[in-house]
Amino acid sequence: MAIKIEKSFQAPEPAAEVWKILSDPRSVASCVPGAQITEAVDERTYRGVIKVKLGPTVTDYKGEAHVERLDEQNREIEMIGKGQDVRGKGSASMKMTGQIRELPTGGSEVITISEVIVVGILAQMGSRMIQEVANLMFEQFTKNLRQRLQQQASGAAGSGGPEEVKPIDAGSVAASAVLGLFKSKPKE
Amino acid sequence: MLAKTSPEIGGMGHPIKRKEDLRFIQGKGNYIDDVQLPGMVYGHMVRSPYAHARITAIRTEEAKKLPGVLAVITGEDLAKANLAWMPTLFHDKQMVLATGKVLFQSQEVAFVVAEDRYTAADAAELVEVDYEELPVLVDPHKAQDTDAPILRDDREEKSNLIFHWEVGDRAATEQQMKSAPVTALVKAFFPRCHPAPLETCGCVIDFNSATGKLTAWITSQAPHAHRTVFALVAGLPEQNIRVISPDIGGGFGNKVPVYPGYVCAAVAALTIGRPVKWIETRSENLQSTGFARDYHMEAELAADKDGRVRALRVKTLADHGAFNAAAQPTKFPAGLFSICTGSYDFSQAFCEVDGVYTNKAPGGIAYRCSFRVTEAAYLIERAMDVLAQELKLDPAELRRRNFIPPEKFPYPSPLGWSYDSGNYQGALDLALEKIGYNELRKEQAEKRKRGELMGIGISSFTEIVGAGPSHTFDILGLKMFDSAELRVHPTGKAIMRMGTKSQGQGHETTYAQIVAQELGIPAADVAIEEGDTDTAPYGLGTYASRSTPTSGAAAALAARKVREKARKIAAHLLEVSEEDLEWEPGKFSVKGAPGKSKTIQEIAFAAYTNFPQGLEPGLEAVHYYDPPNLTFPFGTYVAVVDIDKGTGEVKVRRFVAVDDCGNIINPMIVEGQVHGGLTEGLAIAFMQEISYDESGNIQGGTFMDYLVPTAVETPSWETGNTCTPSPHHPFGAKGVGESPNVGSPAAFVNAVVDALSHLGVKHIDMPLAPWKIWQILKEKGVTQ
Repeated sequence: MAIKIEKSFQAPEPAAEVWKILSDPRSVASCVPGAQITEAVDERTYRGVIKVKLGPTVTDYKGEAHVERLDEQNREIEMIGKGQDVRGKGSASMKMTGQIRELPTGGSEVITISEVIVVGILAQMGSRMIQEVANLMFEQFTKNLRQRLQQQASGAAGSGGPEEVKPIDAGSVAASAVLGLFKSKPKE
Repeated sequence: MLAKTSPEIGGMGHPIKRKEDLRFIQGKGNYIDDVQLPGMVYGHMVRSPYAHARITAIRTEEAKKLPGVLAVITGEDLAKANLAWMPTLFHDKQMVLATGKVLFQSQEVAFVVAEDRYTAADAAELVEVDYEELPVLVDPHKAQDTDAPILRDDREEKSNLIFHWEVGDRAATEQQMKSAPVTALVKAFFPRCHPAPLETCGCVIDFNSATGKLTAWITSQAPHAHRTVFALVAGLPEQNIRVISPDIGGGFGNKVPVYPGYVCAAVAALTIGRPVKWIETRSENLQSTGFARDYHMEAELAADKDGRVRALRVKTLADHGAFNAAAQPTKFPAGLFSICTGSYDFSQAFCEVDGVYTNKAPGGIAYRCSFRVTEAAYLIERAMDVLAQELKLDPAELRRRNFIPPEKFPYPSPLGWSYDSGNYQGALDLALEKIGYNELRKEQAEKRKRGELMGIGISSFTEIVGAGPSHTFDILGLKMFDSAELRVHPTGKAIMRMGTKSQGQGHETTYAQIVAQELGIPAADVAIEEGDTDTAPYGLGTYASRSTPTSGAAAALAARKVREKARKIAAHLLEVSEEDLEWEPGKFSVKGAPGKSKTIQEIAFAAYTNFPQGLEPGLEAVHYYDPPNLTFPFGTYVAVVDIDKGTGEVKVRRFVAVDDCGNIINPMIVEGQVHGGLTEGLAIAFMQEISYDESGNIQGGTFMDYLVPTAVETPSWETGNTCTPSPHHPFGAKGVGESPNVGSPAAFVNAVVDALSHLGVKHIDMPLAPWKIWQILKEKGVTQ
């Protein structure tokens, strides 16, 4: 199952500050719910795990993420990641590009495009559900990133970043998937 | 028509209540999961998340460490016993547990056995399997492309083509296609669907090492065939295998094949030395066991301007999944699909089918269908409507002009069948009268003017059931006869054992009524037993509407043998010669001597207490029935639908089903069968599909996505009958269980297309879900 997710959000912090976090896979990982980097293979390649909980299904994706492109000038990053569930429930791969734009207000806008391919038990839940999981994960990611930016601004860096890296919860996903159904009416 | 017995006897034609329901409605049935044995342990399957992947490692240590786990069996373990693969029912083999690679999502990879089912399920999660993903083949149309991955590297043929099969006269048919003034083409996909029986598949296997006897309780529609397969595959002596099919909660073809879980449970029982139970979950059932249909079909009709059809050409691509596990008679790779000329008298026809492998679950079972008859009936009934639309002719009138007339029976079809009997016009007329066809057409015309969407759909289908004659029909070499063994006790009560196996059809009642009809022993006094291979005579089981045409016939003929012996005893008791006796249900009387008679009960007692010298004692008979031909039930169904323009929702306003299944054993059971089959047809037409995404992930592998109709979605069915007995069946019956599922999808789709035909819509593939209809309405500018 292939899905494309395009998301953007705005932050009051200047682009340079946001880029500091977004250009470091380790900081990015610390903001992704359920994700953890376990090993740095080289400067651009990392091994790690990401846990997704959906109903009674817990999926532990174990894999590698690699920074394909890091464009300091334009503040663009391209990452690819691929993981397999340790208990054989399937795999997921993702290609993500992120870009940071300066805003006239002095703040910044983060634009991400992710292409995700999910194979296995999770994919059986259908694209509606996966889309909602992705939405929820992104929401959580944004929240964590904001928190981290605030910490960075208040000089609290080094405290290890946000503590909340729990996996995405099941019940809330189902509920928001149902809500999502009603929200997605075409606005014509 | 058959002579009707008294209500006390309850022979054929009496709507007596189903004997088996007494235990079912009290929760006292005995299903597979009710079987409890001392020391029994539980199996759980580890399944593949991938549609196509190489297995690089399987680690079972963690699972084995979990307290309560007794064994973890992998494909490599089975390979040592030469059991990693097993034969399918159709010229192929399939993996029991995967070795080397997996070929479909949810494929069986390892089997965990533990003290309880929860531990087994937990341990299955601890089995670690490393996979290397391979390119996936989902679209059957790409199966024969040069760059398609070859799925079955175990086969000599390096191709995804399983078979090419054709029947009929290609050249003559093509000639008609070229020369006819009118042609009509329809491309119709019959989606992959699943019988989804209420009870999933399962088994309990017990091996007694002292006696060497293997007892297998299996959800099996064909227990004898399963026993023979077990004997051949496992090399066990057949007398040491006992297969028992207890009560079965619906089969619909899903319980005909042998599944890997049965084999794994047997291996586990033999190795561990304790009885092993394995019961599928709902998702396992939907995702890995026998699916049905998945036929990509094309039909073209060549006709004269007045609608008289000259020829039919059919081309079909059959998606069989990873293994060809179709449950079909050996000589018929596409089953009885060549019944696709339907109820019509075409001079020429040609039909070809390509079967291919894809990375999907194996199957191709006959879901409430006599081997691909549903696909065939759907195709021809859709094609006739497309032609009617082309000719701007009323679809009922087009059918009328093309029906095989009653005087042409037995009718040799251009694709090689000999139809036994039929009166298609009669069924159509009755159905149209019941529904009020002319008024409905008027109403439709008025509604169209107002912009409202209403449609009427007709399906005048023909079935071909009761497989089958031994000269043509076998499964794995076993000829498709069936049997009955009738034993009358001294007190005049009886027991009859059969080679078939009910899964809810009501055999315990209908077979008893056949005996009641033939012998006059009240149906209430006849016990029917099926499903135990140690006691029942050999038979090929219940599917393809074959029970009444085969075992039902055997029951009547066994009863007639008993009656002939009873005549001898009666003559002895009445001190007359056999010729002086006349029979009426329940007694022999002396011709011209009123009151001088012996009841069947008195005769039965004498068979054990006072039989003539030289006559073999006892009163029993066995009959193995090899049918001379198949039977051809038929009917006309008419659906009336209204479509909500805003939502695309289709409401079935009315549905009239006129069936002709020859002489009826129990009209209430027939009506029940028709209700059930129509409801399944409704689900197929509007709600159900097992589809796969581009990576081979199953979409529709749970009841969240694979919808089952409830009373809320189901309209009120109106039924009716005409009666055209089968001339070759001992009591003129034809079989009915599948007709409603075979005939109804076309009626529903024809009705919906009819509602939209003025917009230029000619065909819509099932399922006709609201979103699909809504999209069409949007395209046509009917809705915003």
